[in-house]
Amino acid sequence: MSAKVVVRDLRKHYGDVQAVCGVSFEVQQGEIFGLLGPNGGGKTTLVECIVGLREPDEGSIELFGMETRREGGDAKQRIGAVLQTTSLQEKITPREALRAFGSFYRERFTPEEVLDRFSLADKGDAPFDTLSGGQRQRLALALAFVNNPELILLDEPTAGLDPQFRREFHDEILQMKKDGRTVLLTTHYVSEAEQLCDRIAILDHGRIVAMGEPSLLIARSMAAPSVFLSTVQPVDFELLRQLPGIQSLERERSGFRFSTDHTARTIGELMNYLDAQHIEISELHIQKATLEDVLIELIGDSQYG
Amino acid sequence: MDSTPGRGWWEQLLVNLRLYFRNRMGMFYGYLFPVIFLISFRVLYRYETVPMVRHLGQLLTVTILGGACLGMPTTMVSERERGVWRRFRLTPISTSSLVASAILARYLILITAGLLQIVLAMGIGMPLPRHSLSLCLAFTLVAFAFLGLGLVIAAIADNVPSVQALGQCIFLPMLIIGGVAVPLASLPGWAVTLSSFFPGRYAVQSLQACIDGVGTGSSRFDLFALFLIGASGLIAGAKMFRWDTQQRFATLGRSKWLVVVIATWAAVGVAAQIEARRPDLAAQTAVPGRSALPVVTPATSVPPSASDDALSAIAPPENTPASPPEESPPRSTAWQQVTVEEIVSNVDFRKLPPDSGVVSPIAPPGVNPSADVLDQINTIIETLPNWPPGNVADPVQRVRNLMYVAAVPDVLESEDIESFVPLIVFDRLKQDIPKQDLIRILYWVAIHPSEGDDTAANQLQALGLGNPPPDSDVVRERVTFYSLKLLGRLIGKISPG
Repeated sequence: MSAKVVVRDLRKHYGDVQAVCGVSFEVQQGEIFGLLGPNGGGKTTLVECIVGLREPDEGSIELFGMETRREGGDAKQRIGAVLQTTSLQEKITPREALRAFGSFYRERFTPEEVLDRFSLADKGDAPFDTLSGGQRQRLALALAFVNNPELILLDEPTAGLDPQFRREFHDEILQMKKDGRTVLLTTHYVSEAEQLCDRIAILDHGRIVAMGEPSLLIARSMAAPSVFLSTVQPVDFELLRQLPGIQSLERERSGFRFSTDHTARTIGELMNYLDAQHIEISELHIQKATLEDVLIELIGDSQYG
Repeated sequence: MDSTPGRGWWEQLLVNLRLYFRNRMGMFYGYLFPVIFLISFRVLYRYETVPMVRHLGQLLTVTILGGACLGMPTTMVSERERGVWRRFRLTPISTSSLVASAILARYLILITAGLLQIVLAMGIGMPLPRHSLSLCLAFTLVAFAFLGLGLVIAAIADNVPSVQALGQCIFLPMLIIGGVAVPLASLPGWAVTLSSFFPGRYAVQSLQACIDGVGTGSSRFDLFALFLIGASGLIAGAKMFRWDTQQRFATLGRSKWLVVVIATWAAVGVAAQIEARRPDLAAQTAVPGRSALPVVTPATSVPPSASDDALSAIAPPENTPASPPEESPPRSTAWQQVTVEEIVSNVDFRKLPPDSGVVSPIAPPGVNPSADVLDQINTIIETLPNWPPGNVADPVQRVRNLMYVAAVPDVLESEDIESFVPLIVFDRLKQDIPKQDLIRILYWVAIHPSEGDDTAANQLQALGLGNPPPDSDVVRERVTFYSLKLLGRLIGKISPG
């Protein structure tokens, strides 16, 4: 595999604010790489530097092995990008926009091909200001796709969209991966990153605080598994708390939730106790740490709770 | 998949044009507004005889100014505010391609709006502009200058209200004291000087010269000034160009390019002032401060008009400071002293308006009036010998009075008869006054347009002619033209036809 994006020690500041502080990472051919983090973490600045909307203060960016400061024009021929919001002229139609944007590239799909591909054929001649939010974002993806790009950069593409459209958008991104394209995605939706990304980098205050496959990040997490217990007969809260291994016990809905560092031992003790008291279990869930737990562990739940 | 080379600028040009024609407000300001302006002008002057042809340069300038300095930057800034230009920046298209397509689209819109204005003006009586091809060149350079300025406004303004504010800051002074809406002749001296620092003045002068003047030959400086102003605006506008509304102009440190634009305007203004002091140019130009008028005393001079290039046929008098003594032609102090040598050395007959033009036309030999006006022509021929003002004792006043008979139909744009009446007057003059005296008197009348009694102009109804216009200066101007044209025929400097 070859790296399609190589970012080395990138720095960008606005006045006194360091938006990106020495970030380095690589995105390999054919993978979906996610930049995950809270709002203001530096994700958008990083993407804007990569696509050429902003000039980094320091560091280097290579796309397809080309240094963007020197060969940015050539690199742009091979990338597509979707910003947080894409706005076009009020009266332009998707067909006209696709034709115009396509004409900027050496290779391009015809407007009809792209309209069909993104289910916009029936809106091809509708003015932009009559499109819904979802249709506009689908058009943004279509515009990013018009030059048959090898690399697609998506900056929070599903922010503010309804769940139905978000699912459709996820399908499109997964299809791009199947087609062999490389995707760099920023998001603050943990589930989105977990569901789509082969690897993620967690960004906080302009720094990468963790990077790797989601499952490995979770496995490395120090967060204790969480247990939810609900019973038919009432359980004595104080007696439950005294069982070995039980931490952070609290009432939740019709039961209790606690965490434990020794799942098997604690659950064994719990079963013995319930059996001795002739208490029937109605619900028992054991949940390992999630990516969200990892984020809270790394960033703090004031920002990601 | 299409692999043919893309023509981004061309597609962008087409998109710009399509979107413009879908925008009702844009259409209103671009096309309807100039038409309303034209109709208003016509309504305003319906009781006067100010011909449209003398003001079309001003109307076209207002159209270009509005479209280039308000319309184009409003569109560009509004698109930038929406984030459209930011999206463009993600693509390989260059700044120059995008700017060129925006400017070219606006130029095409302006030229069609200008054509519409000219066609409508002709529909309500204006004759065809005298130098149509030169008018295209002048129009292009005026558009170039104002589009450059529009690009600078688009670069400076952070939002659409700022465009309106900045545009009006340039638009209104240019209209009022820049020689666009208010003629330079009506402005005080300081405003005339100030106007040379605004491109509006050069725009009006160069356009007007092509419409009813002598073409671009007399407005080379104006055209060069417009080119310089346009080039500085385009370069500075491209250098200061902003893709993103988040990039505030004040924080970008690009204001040095604004200095380049202002310095160019200042340099053009200073050059205009220097040029105005050069005697040869002073005699060719048509604005106060560069007086080109043949009259002896400025206090009684005829106000300059778009036709003053023709008045420059007469060299400045000896005592005019603009004329160096060694080159000064001799001047007689009485009409009886005038010699043909004096006339030849002082009058350049080549600079007179052509006989086939709008101003002071004379029918060529072999062309007869239409049957519709034969009775009117015959009435003039029959009544002119007995017309009292044509028989006054003072020969100079008599010639002057008879010249009014030729001048008034021209000012009134009485197209069917205006080119024949001067010939009737000429015949009458030749019958009444000996040739040598007539030569002297015609010259005398021409170089003293503001002298004499003009009440004869109010006695033309006896000849079956219309009321004279209230603007007596215009009539006196035409008296000068016709006097010189008849004089040229008498001394063999002008061949009829």
